[in-house]
Amino acid sequence: MHEPLFSACLRGAAAVLALARTTLADAADRRGNNAPLAYPDTAYELPVAFGLTDLRVATLGDAGKVLDLAETLVRRGATAENALDAGAATLLAADVLGALSHEKGNPYPPPAVGFVPDSTLRKLGIYLVDGSVPGVAVVVGKATDPAAAAGMVRQFQEIGLLVFLAGDVVAQLDAQGVKLGEDFKTFPLGPLPAVIHAVNFAVRAGLTFGGIGRGQGAAMLSYLGTRVKAFVCALGPLDDVALAIAAGAMKAGLTVLSDQPVPEIPGLLLSRPAGDEMVRAGMEARGIKVKMVKVPIPIAFGPAFEGERIRKADTHIEFGGGRSVAWELVRSAPTEEVTDREIVVDGPDLRGLPAGSVLPLGIVVRVAGARMQRDFESVLERRIHRIVNYGEGTMHVAQRDTTWIRVSTEAVGKGFSLSDLGLMLYAKLHADFENIVDKVAVSITTRLEDVQAGLAWARAAYAERDARARTLTDDAVSEFYSCTLCQSFAPNHVCIVSPERLGLCGAINWLDGKAGFEITPTGPNQPVQKGAVLDAVKGSFDGVNAFVRENSRNTVTGMNLYSIMESPMTSCGCFECVLAVIPEANGVMAVNREFTGPETPCGMGFSTLAGSVGGGVQTPGFMGVGKHYLLSRKFLGAEGGLARVVWMTREMKEYLGPLLRERATEIGMPDLVDQIADETVAVTPDALVEHLVKVGHPALKLPPLL
Amino acid sequence: MSVALPIPGFPGRILAVTLPAGPGGTPVTVGGQNALPLLPEGEHPNAPAVGMEVPTGPLELPPALAEAIGPFAGDPVAMARKCAGDWGARFLFLSLSGCHPDAGGQSVSFGAAVVREVLSATPAPVIVGGCGDEEVDARLFPAVAEAAGRPVFLSYAEEKNHRLVAGAALAYGHGVVSWSPIDINMAKQMNLLLADLGFPPDRVLIDPLTGGLGYGMEYTFSIVERIRLAGLSGDAALARPVLCHLGDAWKAREATDPSEGTWGDVGARGPRWEETTGLACLAAGADLVVCRHPSSVARLSGAAWR
Repeated sequence: MHEPLFSACLRGAAAVLALARTTLADAADRRGNNAPLAYPDTAYELPVAFGLTDLRVATLGDAGKVLDLAETLVRRGATAENALDAGAATLLAADVLGALSHEKGNPYPPPAVGFVPDSTLRKLGIYLVDGSVPGVAVVVGKATDPAAAAGMVRQFQEIGLLVFLAGDVVAQLDAQGVKLGEDFKTFPLGPLPAVIHAVNFAVRAGLTFGGIGRGQGAAMLSYLGTRVKAFVCALGPLDDVALAIAAGAMKAGLTVLSDQPVPEIPGLLLSRPAGDEMVRAGMEARGIKVKMVKVPIPIAFGPAFEGERIRKADTHIEFGGGRSVAWELVRSAPTEEVTDREIVVDGPDLRGLPAGSVLPLGIVVRVAGARMQRDFESVLERRIHRIVNYGEGTMHVAQRDTTWIRVSTEAVGKGFSLSDLGLMLYAKLHADFENIVDKVAVSITTRLEDVQAGLAWARAAYAERDARARTLTDDAVSEFYSCTLCQSFAPNHVCIVSPERLGLCGAINWLDGKAGFEITPTGPNQPVQKGAVLDAVKGSFDGVNAFVRENSRNTVTGMNLYSIMESPMTSCGCFECVLAVIPEANGVMAVNREFTGPETPCGMGFSTLAGSVGGGVQTPGFMGVGKHYLLSRKFLGAEGGLARVVWMTREMKEYLGPLLRERATEIGMPDLVDQIADETVAVTPDALVEHLVKVGHPALKLPPLL
Repeated sequence: MSVALPIPGFPGRILAVTLPAGPGGTPVTVGGQNALPLLPEGEHPNAPAVGMEVPTGPLELPPALAEAIGPFAGDPVAMARKCAGDWGARFLFLSLSGCHPDAGGQSVSFGAAVVREVLSATPAPVIVGGCGDEEVDARLFPAVAEAAGRPVFLSYAEEKNHRLVAGAALAYGHGVVSWSPIDINMAKQMNLLLADLGFPPDRVLIDPLTGGLGYGMEYTFSIVERIRLAGLSGDAALARPVLCHLGDAWKAREATDPSEGTWGDVGARGPRWEETTGLACLAAGADLVVCRHPSSVARLSGAAWR
């Protein structure tokens, strides 16, 4: 069904080439073959030839060689490949025509500007590199509805795109009062053939900003396809020549959108009505994202308010926290199922409710993105906690179906509503997960029956996620993730984060590491190939060793992931708790950061212990870990696991609670948690051993630690 | 009996970077070495270079500097000539500090004009420093990049603004100084980010942030040393010349406070403080140092023998 289209491209290319031939011949007759040929104010001769071929063009004669080359690209046979090559030939020929037309400067009457000089390219290019100009829209042809076309271009201007216009649309937009010119980053180039100046602008961008040299055609096409986020809006009927030029744009990887019923080529040629739909499709096809600089909500929003607590007396309304059903869920979905920035609130909103109200709440955030993975849902979902706390007057506690949100009377007084809450989530998820997330939609319901119905659905999703998490084991995956975030103060420390050993700060698990790498590929979370298993019990892997050696700059030459006695993991200083060996008790103790008591059985309080553990050095017998590591199946595998724990602060026992009992039961020691001493039982080794003997703690029967 | 000395060799080599000069000037090339500084082994094709800062805008100078460069306050062109001439600086660090809103707030076009004038007054290689105000610098760097009639280095690109600074440098063929806050991973990441933009690696200098003596110099020492070791060990993203700006030495009370009589002459203390900081940087591996006092140029150049 594309054949007629491809044939048209071939015909169009031949027509442009023929026109270029005769125009060039006329000029040569008039001025001689050695007469100079150049655009005004550029260092790149004929830019398209400069970028795609290795032909030097200084004279009319040289331009003939460009046309000779172009002719070899126009082949018989209506195939996609031939059509795209014919497109490239069209661009080469059109650039020759463009340069010929500029013999005496800009040949077009105002407002058309013709060729855009290098000086303008440099100025604007900076903002393309910078990202503050997020993309380029080329609008060509003749609009059937000039008002709609004007609306579309105004939308481009609002978004901050660089806009090129060519064809009748220039006069149409001028008549519609659309602001044109450099100040508005909107360049009316001239009649339809002048569209070549958009192309040679893009090629020069690659030459100037992409580090691409003369004649590196493949590199140039790849730069245009991946770096220059440009799309073409073709308005009105397309003749052969317009299609040939469009094929040239497609050859460079640009998306062409036509308001005519053209046969679509996914990603390259789309048919969309002019207006919103064309804007959206073009931006989506080229991955152009608009950054929200300021979130338009009536309350202040930022990390400064993260620690704010909203007391009962200041609370206007609350959700969850045991007082009502409330849950939150992030789901990924195919891109066509998510409408970006769609924020829906169903049920009673905040305004008009009496102070002290309690409402049920269900929050569903749907995200889509080419690099989004189902595994990242939990990573994004946990971010809800922080985002809601960023609001001045909004507080968030816990997660999933235990979530608890309060909104202050002051915030409601300022006009804060649930759609603002949705907007906060929308804006911040986009900002924080820019590389992963392309679209975010939020729907919030406060209608009891919907919240109830959604709860079962959400729980099924949590259960599915937990089931997946259980299959993520150190043995099952082939790579772990590093975290070197703390090297700024612990220069040689490398955290290795595996599915069954989270980062010692407790803030980064394996999925976070994986997401972190997707977000910032050059950042502190890098994939670490496990490599060969040298010792499965101690957790020794040659890939991990190599990574740690390199990234600790040769100071740590090997590391056992599951051992405290032999080459343990180093610690930065951020650990949630410290494990320390108590030789007399043949076991280890665990003390958390919050513990302020001066004494533990090893003779030191937390802060003294912390001083001997941190700084990126291996100290056998001492190790900083995340609290949840105690629940892992890989906890101190080399030393006998959880059964080695002889002492733990009361606070930690409470924190780990039923999960700790579950794990103790799992290893066949249901009484272990009660056998582990705490600060109320013993703070000296002697008292500790006495207690352990009395309760029959299993550590006493384990092989000696030292 | 002869004993072979165990001389360590490194697999990597620091990339050579040239700060171009104007007509009649001498360009500065640094880097190119495959060994640690101040040691006899390995190749050291380029000695470290000592440059001077040329400030703009109103200056509040400590006594030692007031005496030496005070007469040039408000006349960066004359000072640039003096630095590159009599005082022997091999390159200039033109600081557009005068454009900072808190320092008089010279306009962006004024700043750009200063750059143009200084570049035509002396052929010495120039690094142009922003004013440090994020918003002003976002306008200043593109304007400077356009105004500079010959290639300079823009200082500095950091994580937040690197696209803008690199874009401005690419547009007009300048180099950039890539800055990180005493953080080797950030130093590396900055260079990876610049590479990702297609920025030519031989137009990048690393500024690891230099603390003055007694005020963080040891952190800088350790970071410079580690950057260098990583670069020599084969980490291409860190195998770049390092620039240390010694300005922080002049924030130390010991260098500037005349009220402490027992500390000796404040006019001598300041330059000594700067020199000491600079010597440490050179020992750590710095390839370029920027100083403020003319006497430091001679002293540090004397020490920068390889």
